[in-house]
Amino acid sequence: MAYRLWEVMKRSKNGEFMEEKEYLHKRLIPGIAGVVKKYNIKYDRSNPVPSDDELADRIWQAAREFFLTVGVYNQDTHRIIKFSEEELNEALYSAPSQHLVGEGKDARIFGHRQVEDKRPPFVIYSPDITYDEENFLSICLAYLKEPLLDGLCAPVLEQFMGMKITSRHPVELGGSMHHAMSLREAARLVGRPGVFFVAVGTAESDVGQIHVSDPNWGIRPSDGRLVGSITEFMTNNSMLNKATHYQQYGSFGGSLTGAIFGGYAGGAEGTAVLETAYHLKGLMVHQCQFQQNFPFHLKYGANTTRELLWVVSMYSQAIARNTHLVQDSNGFSIAGPGTDMLYYEAAAHSIASTVSGANLWENAPAMNKYHNRGTPLECRLSAEVGHAVAVQGMTRKEANEIVNKLLAKYEDKVDNPPLGKTYQEMYDINRAEPHVEYMDQFKRIKEELSGMGIKFLF
Amino acid sequence: MSTVEKLKQAVMNGNREDAEQLAQAALNENVDLVDMIGELSDGMGIVGKKFETFEVFLPEMIAAADAMMAAMDLITPKLQEQGVEHKKGKVILGAPEGDMHEIGKDIVKTILSGNGYEIIDLGTDVNSLTFIKTAQKEQADIIAISTLMTTTMPGATEVIQLLRDQGIRDEFKVVVGGAPTSKEWAEEIGTDGWAQDAFGALNLINGLMNK
Repeated sequence: MAYRLWEVMKRSKNGEFMEEKEYLHKRLIPGIAGVVKKYNIKYDRSNPVPSDDELADRIWQAAREFFLTVGVYNQDTHRIIKFSEEELNEALYSAPSQHLVGEGKDARIFGHRQVEDKRPPFVIYSPDITYDEENFLSICLAYLKEPLLDGLCAPVLEQFMGMKITSRHPVELGGSMHHAMSLREAARLVGRPGVFFVAVGTAESDVGQIHVSDPNWGIRPSDGRLVGSITEFMTNNSMLNKATHYQQYGSFGGSLTGAIFGGYAGGAEGTAVLETAYHLKGLMVHQCQFQQNFPFHLKYGANTTRELLWVVSMYSQAIARNTHLVQDSNGFSIAGPGTDMLYYEAAAHSIASTVSGANLWENAPAMNKYHNRGTPLECRLSAEVGHAVAVQGMTRKEANEIVNKLLAKYEDKVDNPPLGKTYQEMYDINRAEPHVEYMDQFKRIKEELSGMGIKFLF
Repeated sequence: MSTVEKLKQAVMNGNREDAEQLAQAALNENVDLVDMIGELSDGMGIVGKKFETFEVFLPEMIAAADAMMAAMDLITPKLQEQGVEHKKGKVILGAPEGDMHEIGKDIVKTILSGNGYEIIDLGTDVNSLTFIKTAQKEQADIIAISTLMTTTMPGATEVIQLLRDQGIRDEFKVVVGGAPTSKEWAEEIGTDGWAQDAFGALNLINGLMNK
């Protein structure tokens, strides 16, 4: 697919000119509202995991039409990048349905899943938050020791040599290198030297990402890299630089996107359509091999609320039923580590995603904003739940019932969630293992979930 | 329903054309300008409350603010003729260098402008010195910095440091917000305030302007 890069570069310079505000107000907002109405897409709050195939297919049709008619805006060139239906169909047909990622004995298949697929999800662990520099190796080790981990993204560094890491600053290059080297060192120490990384999260800028491409100490072609975008349906030259580099270096590109509930897309319906359309942006504009989805609530910065679980389930089903693209579902929770609420949220997100055809990327706790507040334990719960519900063949209807029960346990706490504990409080830093009391809590939660109908595999 | 009440309704419905026509009609009727602005602000407040509780979403909020601005474009010259000051204050708004995220900043802009503030929107990826030079040139009251990345948060710190180094820290109030930021961090770097969201930003800036 690499040849399409040149076409994207060309259209990025020669596409229709438009001011950014005009694109948002006159194209994007009415574009989404129009297809939501045309395809009769309705949110149903009583069914966070719907079993409505026709609705999933209408969301897919709406997303296709939106992508083809509205196009993607380049913030630097002020041009709109568009594709023809034929080009889109060709890309959807020729995209691989699975990738062999990582190396040697640690290599894994990261592939497309169907709705209610009995194959377990590919699970990438990631807290997506920053940690103290002095504990960074310990936290990397703690994640890499996890048995169900297929890939690892980030802990992220906030400082390098005592200096705050700033985007596009030399300290970012230093911190990104430290990040990559720590991951490699930790992987070797736990005996998984070829494990798949999606890295490095410390490098926000294009120059930071390109800096860590090195098959020996850094990020390898067998690893994954992200092109992240949040402002709806836009790209810029920095993102295109990353995409070009990943293609030419040979890494697996991941399109990291989060449609915002309450934002330009409006409510749950528009958010589901937009997140579905992001798959097409990732495939066509950023030439990515997988799509990482983290739609989130404007107020809570999370996707474990009722509306967002519906969004997660619907775009996952739309993609699973209508394409063979590789997708994963990135959990963002409201409560902090070591709280029952976080485990309920993590389980709900994992169930809704897995039965709807997604792979898992778990889990960013505490609204993804508190330093050191993320541990492997909540990711472990998501992974074990995901494997269990896939293998037992859980249907969407059964999943819907359990997710409703889980929501009943935490919905009234979303405005005043518990902050929980830090990694240092919950783990023995030297051994990179959880303290006994937190393992006891983990086991208690698993027993409770078993009582709801989840058949854990061990 | 009076013309002003219809105007308020047009703003709440986000109907720009109706808002323009009704504002002109109200001006022709010689309606008291301050009362008219009060009604418009009240209408924006109602839409804002609905947005806060997700009864409406950002598109409706933008449409309402747009209609309000259309009406204000007609009202403002009349206010100036009468020598009435109606702007609550001037705010320099932007995302720091390296940060390309618009939406949080744009919501703040919509809420503040709908509530009587003049906003100079510098956009995203704004150099620290540009915040300061623009604030000086525009004789602004507030520098508001919205950041979504931990790696772009240091841009806000740099603005504070540059103001201090130039001996002009007291000339502007500096406020920050955005997903990864916190009250503790805002205090640590020496800002004048932090807000959780756009409505928090409005309350914060109202408070600072009334000091």
